[in-house]
Amino acid sequence: MKSTQVVVCIGCGGVGKTTVSASLGYMLADQGYKTLVLTIDPAKRLATTLGIEGTKEITEVPGVQLKGKLFASVIDHQTVFNEFIKRASGAGADVTPIFRNKLYQQMSTTLSGSQEFTALEKLYSAYESGEYDWIVLDTPPSKHAIDFLNAPQKLSALFNDSVAKWLRNSDGKGGLLSQIISSGTRQVIQILERLTGSEFVKELRLFFFYIHAWQDKLENRIVQVHNLLISDKTRFFLISSLDEVKMTEALNLGQEVRKQGYQLTKIIINKSRFEKTFDFKVGPGSTQSAASLKELELFKVSFEKYIAQREELLHKFENSVANRIELVSLKEYLDPISDTDNLKLIAFDLSQKIKL
Amino acid sequence: MQKIVFVTGKGGVGKSIYAAALAQKYSMQGKRTLLVELGDESFFKTFFGLPQVQYTPTKTKNGFEVALWSGGEALKEYALHLLKSEAVYRLFFENKVSRALIHIAPGLPELAILGKITSGPRHHGPSSPHDVIIVDAFATGHFLALMRAPKGMAQAISFGPMGEQSRSIMKTVVDSSICDYHIVTLAEELPIKETIELYDQLKTEFNISADIILNKKLNTSLQSNELNSDDNEFVKYVKETLTREEDARKRLQEKNLSPFEVPFIYDKTSYELIEQIATGIKL
Repeated sequence: MKSTQVVVCIGCGGVGKTTVSASLGYMLADQGYKTLVLTIDPAKRLATTLGIEGTKEITEVPGVQLKGKLFASVIDHQTVFNEFIKRASGAGADVTPIFRNKLYQQMSTTLSGSQEFTALEKLYSAYESGEYDWIVLDTPPSKHAIDFLNAPQKLSALFNDSVAKWLRNSDGKGGLLSQIISSGTRQVIQILERLTGSEFVKELRLFFFYIHAWQDKLENRIVQVHNLLISDKTRFFLISSLDEVKMTEALNLGQEVRKQGYQLTKIIINKSRFEKTFDFKVGPGSTQSAASLKELELFKVSFEKYIAQREELLHKFENSVANRIELVSLKEYLDPISDTDNLKLIAFDLSQKIKL
Repeated sequence: MQKIVFVTGKGGVGKSIYAAALAQKYSMQGKRTLLVELGDESFFKTFFGLPQVQYTPTKTKNGFEVALWSGGEALKEYALHLLKSEAVYRLFFENKVSRALIHIAPGLPELAILGKITSGPRHHGPSSPHDVIIVDAFATGHFLALMRAPKGMAQAISFGPMGEQSRSIMKTVVDSSICDYHIVTLAEELPIKETIELYDQLKTEFNISADIILNKKLNTSLQSNELNSDDNEFVKYVKETLTREEDARKRLQEKNLSPFEVPFIYDKTSYELIEQIATGIKL
């Protein structure tokens, strides 16, 4: 049994979380650790690179030469959720009716909170297996980075025993005691029926009747995962792009997250500056046509402004962060030949800036 | 008739800024325009440096108004409208248990948001003073969940006010004389893939023909074949970026889609940026 450590990469959509997560995994594996990267919806090329295209299994990443071992997997939400329900329901339990329930189908895939739950469930089972030195978790796309941390509590609220009891006991078939208790809630149910129609309430009752068997286990799981997330085994990295609004949000979030007891020590700014300074000499000796050259010259001027702009933004942010949180600025690579090379380059850049 | 434009796309493609530019464009044409963000936290508050963005619209310096609509608040407004009593509302919504349930019951917040957005054309609830509503909507996956909410609800409940509402919302969102859909993308693999998938889903599930917006096009008339990449790193970079743009166009053209292209602008303050993009938009 290994004593597993965890890195969770959070951040809002489109900042390159998946690529940074995979590169972190590459870096750790190259330091000799047995490492697992859990990704959500990687680009096809990255999935191919990681050897996980078309499979949901944990797979060893092919074609890389590392000191340690690198494994990867795509999280399939529906499967993870169903597997959890099967286990929680106990051996021999019939799970077909719940899998068929419309509300369950919606809940296990699209309900806010469920993708985050399955990501954490997958993380926890890999953690429990004791197979890995490090696990790097990529997180589901969200508008705001904080959504990931709030999601399990939101889901947990749905499974709060009082909610379920309340619905189960309000169907008028409960014993004398439940009838007395529910006299107030009957009114509430009536309003719910007025708002939604009685069929919806019926569907809900059925749903809560089914999930009764595993709601305790789900609650427990959420608590276990939470304990892992706030323990010293887990650290959070916040990934951001070089964007004023997003970086400001990241900084505020970093402080908020730390207040909640999570170890968030780094903000990683992805693609913050180009790996090299451009050589802009496009004059004599160039093979372009005269017209193209002229247009290229024009574009060059505006592009130089763009680079200066980015540099200024990064400096401004570095100054405003000061000592509040550690800032890691990653390079933007210009044309890596393959995705494996890209991972290797980012992993090397990371290893220069992050010690784990 | 009030016009509603939904703006969606993969996370990080710049849909909020495009949505704001669109609001600016309508506003410049003399239309009273509301830019709506969905969710619990405002992007435009920071972007425009506004003191507050909330459920009730706030005016921006650029003329249009901006509001932030969450499922919870939309649901509250709907419930109050239907129950017609603050006391009954409080009995229900301030009950801890029902509040927890209501906020997470599958599809309910999404339904309430769509109900709020379409309340003008449906003549349901308080009348809206705006000529145009631009919705800076959720990213692709969550956006589909939003669109599917009324259908799911209508299937789960055939009778009662919620069933009726769901059907009326469904009819409104697929009515092309009221609602437009813009999918914003970048010339990159994942955004283009998601854009085409979403376009197909909207077409097959709702018979909606969305417009495609190709954002951050390099601001040059150069084409990749004019450039010789052996020259130096800069030329190589430009050539590769242009090649990616040409590939993206080709992939969209295979689906008979011709995107509206928005130039990549960076050296501007928030308001100037929005204005400059708006100038290029043709309605």
